[in-house]
Amino acid sequence: MKLFKLIDNFIVKLEEFILSYAVIIIALMVVGKALSRAIFSYTPPFADEVSQIAIVVATFMGISYAARKGRHISMSAFYDLAPFKARKVLSILIPLVTSIVLFLLTYYSALYVVNVYEDGTVTSALQMPKYYLYLFIPIGFFLGGVQFLRNMWINIKDRDAVYLGTDAKDYNDKEKEEIVEETHL
Amino acid sequence: MVATLLTIMVVLLLLNFPMMIPLMVAPLIVMFIYFPNLDPMILMQQFSTGIEPYVLLAVPLFIFAADIMTTGKTSNRLLDFIGSFIGHIRGGYAVTTAAACTLFGAISGSTQATVVAIGKPMRERLLKIGYKDPTAMALIINSSDVALLVPPSIGMIIYGLVSGTSVGDLFIAGIIPGIIVFLSFAIYSIVYAKVANIPLANKATWSERWQLTRKAILPLGFPVIIIGGIYTGLFSPTEAAGMSVLYAFVLEVLIYRSIHIKELPKIARSTGLVTSAVFVLVAGGQAFTWVISFARVPQMISEAVLGADPSAVYVLLMVTIFFFVGCMFVDPIVVILVLTPIFYPAAMDAGIDPVHLGVVITFQAALGSATPPFGVDIFTASAVFNKPYLEVIKGTPPYIVMMVAISILLIFFEELSLLLL
Amino acid sequence: ACGGDEGGSADGGEGSSGETYDWRFVTEEVDGQVQYEYAEEFAKRMNEKSDGAVNIDVYEFGGLGSETDQVEQLQNGAVELAVMSPGFTGNMVKEGQIFALHFLFPDSVEKTQEILNDSEALNTDLRERYEEFSISPLSYWTEGAMQWTSSGTALEEPADFQNFKMRTQTSPLILESYRAYDAEPTPMSWSELYTALDRGTVEGQENPIFFIGDASFYEVQDYMTVSNHNNYVAMTTVNTEWYEGLNDEMKTMVDETVQEMQQWVFDEQKAQNEEWLETIRNDEENPTEIVELTEEQRQMFKDKAMPVRDFYRENVSTVDGEILDKLQEEISAATE
Ligand code: NA
Ligand code: NA
Repeated sequence: MKLFKLIDNFIVKLEEFILSYAVIIIALMVVGKALSRAIFSYTPPFADEVSQIAIVVATFMGISYAARKGRHISMSAFYDLAPFKARKVLSILIPLVTSIVLFLLTYYSALYVVNVYEDGTVTSALQMPKYYLYLFIPIGFFLGGVQFLRNMWINIKDRDAVYLGTDAKDYNDKEKEEIVEETHL
Repeated sequence: MVATLLTIMVVLLLLNFPMMIPLMVAPLIVMFIYFPNLDPMILMQQFSTGIEPYVLLAVPLFIFAADIMTTGKTSNRLLDFIGSFIGHIRGGYAVTTAAACTLFGAISGSTQATVVAIGKPMRERLLKIGYKDPTAMALIINSSDVALLVPPSIGMIIYGLVSGTSVGDLFIAGIIPGIIVFLSFAIYSIVYAKVANIPLANKATWSERWQLTRKAILPLGFPVIIIGGIYTGLFSPTEAAGMSVLYAFVLEVLIYRSIHIKELPKIARSTGLVTSAVFVLVAGGQAFTWVISFARVPQMISEAVLGADPSAVYVLLMVTIFFFVGCMFVDPIVVILVLTPIFYPAAMDAGIDPVHLGVVITFQAALGSATPPFGVDIFTASAVFNKPYLEVIKGTPPYIVMMVAISILLIFFEELSLLLL
Repeated sequence: ACGGDEGGSADGGEGSSGETYDWRFVTEEVDGQVQYEYAEEFAKRMNEKSDGAVNIDVYEFGGLGSETDQVEQLQNGAVELAVMSPGFTGNMVKEGQIFALHFLFPDSVEKTQEILNDSEALNTDLRERYEEFSISPLSYWTEGAMQWTSSGTALEEPADFQNFKMRTQTSPLILESYRAYDAEPTPMSWSELYTALDRGTVEGQENPIFFIGDASFYEVQDYMTVSNHNNYVAMTTVNTEWYEGLNDEMKTMVDETVQEMQQWVFDEQKAQNEEWLETIRNDEENPTEIVELTEEQRQMFKDKAMPVRDFYRENVSTVDGEILDKLQEEISAATE
């Protein structure tokens, strides 16, 4: 239990770090490029590429963080109208299917990474192996899949409430600390 | 095949799956059923292609700038300043929102960036004075549409390339329809404010106004930097998004000291979260587009519909319907790329002016970003305001009705686009 | 085209005993532009020659993702044929960047096309490099010479490039090519280019004339220099395994059609480029002064561009510039 919690804490910190600095890097690159061109008449050729790498990394590494925070966009119209029992069933079924899909996508995107690795393609400005960038896609899908499994687990353990998507009962929030303690994997 | 695709998507969507799942799974299933020889890794490639376009960078940047401004003092100072001039007027805030979105959209060229940059501060104020949330959000996402109609419109640049039409002419032709859209939204806002009986603020005195103006002097540097920077060629529209982050940073962290530099990563993290929630959908949308294009669905349907020797009005009607429906499911820019070549030859045969066709098409694309179920502006609003999808779209029908009515006007009166040329 | 994806009996088969073939041909351009017109004509001819047995669906740019995506789709057999420009494969097949070198090919586009047709360096050596990645280039052809457009200054000699903000791609070789003229190479995404040229964020760009016309760039530029500094080269490519698996009859038919198309596409690009040149010249609302380089001016650029070839040999080529050396010999033999 302790170990899981440690790993989980590490992963949250990592996700938060990546999301924060991806955004900050984009800002630095775009501002730096514009200022450098305007002031020094020099355009750093890597600026656009670094920003684009940051956006891909943030997008895919954000999947699990958004799942953790219940921030994925969904259409909850019918779900909201459903009786508690139905919602409870769905709250277990949906994260389950979602995580299966994400694991499937992990598999295909890992194959894609291998493919790009074998071709030895590099990025055009930095001449950096392109698979470095794509590596974040399977990692992001995988962590997302794990996170949805966890959402499912919490819904199985806690019989009185529903934790899902836009209900945004966020079990990572400080005030709900006790739920995390009780239901942690 | 289309039926399979849509059924899977709609069922998963209604069951309250995270929207990325239907968008990513439907193309995968279609591939398994109809193209078993294809390697599904193509779709993985499309995920990353979907989010790589450079102009998309404006979205996280404007979110970041808006997050900094709303956390600190800038946005309230700006809004108090605006409020002192229009707060006592019926529908004043709503019309100001529409105007700000139109202006900002025209400058930034990005509907999503407009939703964030104007929507984030304006929505709070609209709620505070008594607007219901769906109304406020619908006003914001629909007013942001105009970004695609007024220069420098990325939609028109793409149409210009695909069709070989003059981009300069297209820019000019979009002006009148853009103004008509703004005016309709403004009139609707005033009427709405009257019917819903939105309370008015007391008229501010000139000395109050002067006080608030002084406080807003530095924040007013934002429009100066963005508009001035783009029009003098100092920065591109995407870079202006970056400059707005820099300016927000300078104001809040260095001058007002309302935000400590250590808080920035936390603000950036929230920006990153919102960006990710929106961009996974853009990624999925690209994979969806790939399957549709690969199976040549647009060609099949259009061949069936157009027939031999159609009249100009009929072609324009079909263009309107096809682009409208296309934009319901796919990103508008992609729709322009994919559908324009299919309809362009028939339109030319029917004697339609290529510039007018471009305006009709761009108009649908503009509407498309705010039309459910796949509307990037809706996703953006849902993520940025942290509101359920349905809540975001609840208020949109009146706007869609207005936009459709203007579409019909455009079909019959090509002068609306060609008058200024 | 919806049901089934047999990719047209790519397994070979016995011959013309009523077999049908459904292939896909993807291009990097849209309807009306050179590559797309090429693919349509190619499809039409294959269909006629095979008495309707070969059906080729032509895909224009847009729906199938970026140019590099399309390269990967050819590699893994999702599409059988593709027109691609070596520029978009340059980060995989490094040698392909050879076409980005300035003033390598002669001023005459016609002569350039002859070299593209006959060069062993390209049609054998470079092709082998591509085949390592399952891409077989069956032919190389020009879509027209690349020209410079500019605002403010006409680009007539290297000195005009001093501190000139030139929009380029990001590849190190292209950056080096413009640094050789002391220009400020400024990478900028295509989607922002029209606005950037209009507002002066960047001052110039390079493209073949038909593209400068199609994308309306001339509307926001004052000058167009007919520099012919290099050619926009495209390749007709096929998936290697698929091609090797074709039966003899089909293979011959493909090869023949590829050969015939060389003259056709030369005429097509010539017609398009000439037509756009006239349109640009005669557009009085958006006046663009058209500048022709003298032999001397061309030589001045060429002198500055020569050292970039060493950059190519040392930093780009994986075979120490062997293909370039051979191509240079072929070019000098052809131009003497
Ligand atoms: Na839509
Ligand atoms: Na001009």
